[in-house]
Amino acid sequence: MVNLNTIAPKNGRSYYIALGLEGSANKLGVGVIKHPILKEQEIGDHSHDCHAEILSNIRDTYTTPPGEGFLPRDTARHHRNWCVRLIKRALKEAKINDPRLDLDVICFTKGPGMGAPLHSVVIAARTCSLLWDIPLVRVNHCVGHIEMGREITKAVNPVVLYVSGGNTQVIAYSENRYRIFGETLDIAIGNCLDRFARTLKIPNAPSPGYNIEQLANKCKNKDQLVELPYTVKGMDLSMSGILAYIDSLAKDLFKGNKKNKILFDTKTGEQKVTVEDLCYSLQENLFAMLVEITERAMAHVNTSQVLIVGGVGCNVRLQEMMAQMCKDRANGQVHATDERFCIDNGVMIAQAGLLQYRMGDVVKDLKETIVTQKFRTDEVYVSWRE
Amino acid sequence: MTTPSAIYKHGDELEKHFQVDINNARYKTTNGSTTGPSEHVLNAGQIDRDRPSDPKLLDNTESSSPSYTPLSLLRMQLTGLQDDINIFLTERMEVAKMKKSKLASDAEEKRIEEEIKVLLDGGDDDNSETENEQ
Repeated sequence: MVNLNTIAPKNGRSYYIALGLEGSANKLGVGVIKHPILKEQEIGDHSHDCHAEILSNIRDTYTTPPGEGFLPRDTARHHRNWCVRLIKRALKEAKINDPRLDLDVICFTKGPGMGAPLHSVVIAARTCSLLWDIPLVRVNHCVGHIEMGREITKAVNPVVLYVSGGNTQVIAYSENRYRIFGETLDIAIGNCLDRFARTLKIPNAPSPGYNIEQLANKCKNKDQLVELPYTVKGMDLSMSGILAYIDSLAKDLFKGNKKNKILFDTKTGEQKVTVEDLCYSLQENLFAMLVEITERAMAHVNTSQVLIVGGVGCNVRLQEMMAQMCKDRANGQVHATDERFCIDNGVMIAQAGLLQYRMGDVVKDLKETIVTQKFRTDEVYVSWRE
Repeated sequence: MTTPSAIYKHGDELEKHFQVDINNARYKTTNGSTTGPSEHVLNAGQIDRDRPSDPKLLDNTESSSPSYTPLSLLRMQLTGLQDDINIFLTERMEVAKMKKSKLASDAEEKRIEEEIKVLLDGGDDDNSETENEQ
């Protein structure tokens, strides 16, 4: 029987407060979350409904000029130099006057992610922990997304589609683990979209994927898709070949290679396909693949709920396509969150970390705070669920 | 006030100590010489908005002889110390790279020498084996 109230809050209060630090990629997030003590949480699985109150959710993104990705060294430098500023702002907004007294726990991302940026953030977490004498909790980034999505949408036991710049996974809960039913065999969907945005040399702000979505919305030939490889392999999918193929199309388009029959009319030399058409076709193709494997996972675990998390989860077209599939299944529901919670943030780390803390999972020695680039979702023992 | 220090050890052969010299200008700034943005992004047109903040002055400090808060002093000293460590480690990497390429070229030289020696000795293994078989 799950009891979320085994560890008492600090100073005899009736609520817990956690600080969450996230920096596994180019977003640095700091968030503060509050959980009241609820009687019903002593007798069963109510981890999706903690009555969480978000006291602050601050984010700063490291962006590079169009055509460039983010290098680990520069991203780590961004996090190193902004971390303290963001922590100060988050605490001020949350009206935390004395962190020593007011914070129960500090949660940080252990992985997966880019090593150097993860390292910048964990140093800040260790320092705050020592400075204020507050325990630390290590959080799996993917589990952070899932728990935040569950808390916001109140989805009890959904199939989770986790789509971001570094991850593409279809996940379902079973026996204290978030099990991966299907995943990418090579690059993540966000990486595929971001790298195509680099080829197109479109801005990286606010995010490359968002700018692709805006271009796709302007497509005037929505009934004539550019044919792309469709690479679903059982429950898994592959996207590197699609990227290489569409990249070559875009390059031919920019060069004006009239020999390319897909892009130009061979007789008249007239351009048949625009950049907007390519963006639209790429999105439709990739999202169709995601919908297919998600539906298969739903059939496996016999559930009608889908929760979309991760940065790409903000994409309205993906949400529409998923909703269409769910509508075709009896009583299907799609749960998604907006950019505050879809895109990497500190609150999600605080949410998952606080659940862990309330189940007694804390760091006992600083040696345990080593971050890791590889940390699979199913490695985490989910003690806060039945 | 004590200053931060660092020690680098490599087996039994090397032990390097890094100390702060409080009179040296490199320990009086928060902008290190090795901790700036990479040249690659600057060449791509990046505008650096991620610089570390300047050290914080103590209240009522005189501009002629500024005094900094203890944490700002620590930040400045650590910036200089980090530069020292980065320069040292970069040098070590260069040495390791040179050693590696020297080893590779030594091995290549040895291989050529062996080949010439075998040829001068009139040895031609493949042919001799064939001859033996015949």
